[in-house]
Amino acid sequence: MRVVFKVVDRLLERVRVDLARPHEFAAERVGFFVCKTASLVPQGVVILAHDYRPLEDDDYLDDATVGAMMGPAAIRKALECALNNEIGMFHIHMHDHGGYPRFSRTDARESAKFVPDFWNVRPEMPHGALVVSRDSLYGMCWYPGKSEPIEISEFVVIGSPMVFVRNGQ
Amino acid sequence: MNERYARQSFLGPRSEEIFKHCRACIIGLGGGGSHIVQQLAHVGIGNFLIFDADHVEDSNLNRLVGATQADVISKTPKTVVATRLIQGINPKAQIVARLEKWQESAALLRDADVIFGCVDSFSERQQIEATARRYLIPYIDIGMDVHDLGGQFAISGQVILSMPGELCMKCMGFLREDLLAHEAANYGAAGSKPQVIWPNGVLASLAVGIFVPLMTPWHRNHRRVWYLEYDGNSQTVATSNRLAHLAGTVCNHFSSLEDLGDPFWKPSNLKVA
Repeated sequence: MRVVFKVVDRLLERVRVDLARPHEFAAERVGFFVCKTASLVPQGVVILAHDYRPLEDDDYLDDATVGAMMGPAAIRKALECALNNEIGMFHIHMHDHGGYPRFSRTDARESAKFVPDFWNVRPEMPHGALVVSRDSLYGMCWYPGKSEPIEISEFVVIGSPMVFVRNGQ
Repeated sequence: MNERYARQSFLGPRSEEIFKHCRACIIGLGGGGSHIVQQLAHVGIGNFLIFDADHVEDSNLNRLVGATQADVISKTPKTVVATRLIQGINPKAQIVARLEKWQESAALLRDADVIFGCVDSFSERQQIEATARRYLIPYIDIGMDVHDLGGQFAISGQVILSMPGELCMKCMGFLREDLLAHEAANYGAAGSKPQVIWPNGVLASLAVGIFVPLMTPWHRNHRRVWYLEYDGNSQTVATSNRLAHLAGTVCNHFSSLEDLGDPFWKPSNLKVA
């Protein structure tokens, strides 16, 4: 299945600026894209980023084994957001380098733990996890009815100029 | 780089690949759309989605690029003329040609990287822009008009880039409630609007000139909003004064969550006949 993720460049820049801010004890910051969705013909889905919800400073747990650990309040707020709106939630964090980013083993393991929880409140929507670098993106999408996440095949950053990340290129 | 594109290599080392994968949608394949299709094929666009419900008529031959007398006799669909034009330049181009109004298969538009609107009415422009915003697609609109000034005529036209997140055609004052209401009141009584080939060619070239740097810029002076006004009598093109008055304005017409995505979304495959 083809999965396309679209975001306006101004919103993505806002995310990058937020994620680059230092935190008192967390090594990195995280947040969520609030997304709408549409089917593609003949098969596929396009995820459309609408807004960004950063994690509040107090919602991180002090855990030196990972770059950022979300506390229960952070998860609850994100779940509430999905419950109250017909949206998909896409977790995002940043790898501070240029070029095509990939998930670390920790990213993959932790995403697989919490992303499917969004189906408890919004089962009909795709949810996911992304990583953004200085100039590219990578991510996985959990699509309703599919047990395994799907790699996002295409990112389109809407701006002037447009940026296309297709299969890592 | 392919020898064919050597003369446009200044567009960047990845330009050929970007164009090859680009999906361009052109709505309306008449005087303006046929020019755009031809230019995009020359540039190297690899994927076309084209819509027009009409067949070639004798009255089209004053401006329809690619159409012949034989097409008039055989009542060739305009989509066939456009397909022939594209394939004659780039046989590898993928073309989805729909002999229908775009609204009949609007779901196909979701996959476009850019939409060119070459339509006559304000209401149709409004619908296309709303659809483009809903799926975060840049929309480039072109149009021309001939005004009777009593004893003489004035040719005018416009090219607008409506970019998701930026000023829309309503913000720019191009789509206004009074114009839409007037058009609705006169529905069916408009008759044939005057159209000639050279303004269509100018406006189509300006539209492609906005599109190319959006995909692969050759300069750093990127603009996110375009509203060009064409004066066909003085043969001049200028940025609309309206944009200067709108500096710093934020569009609120498509900013809500409900304006984005498929309002009838279900996690199942979508079938289009």
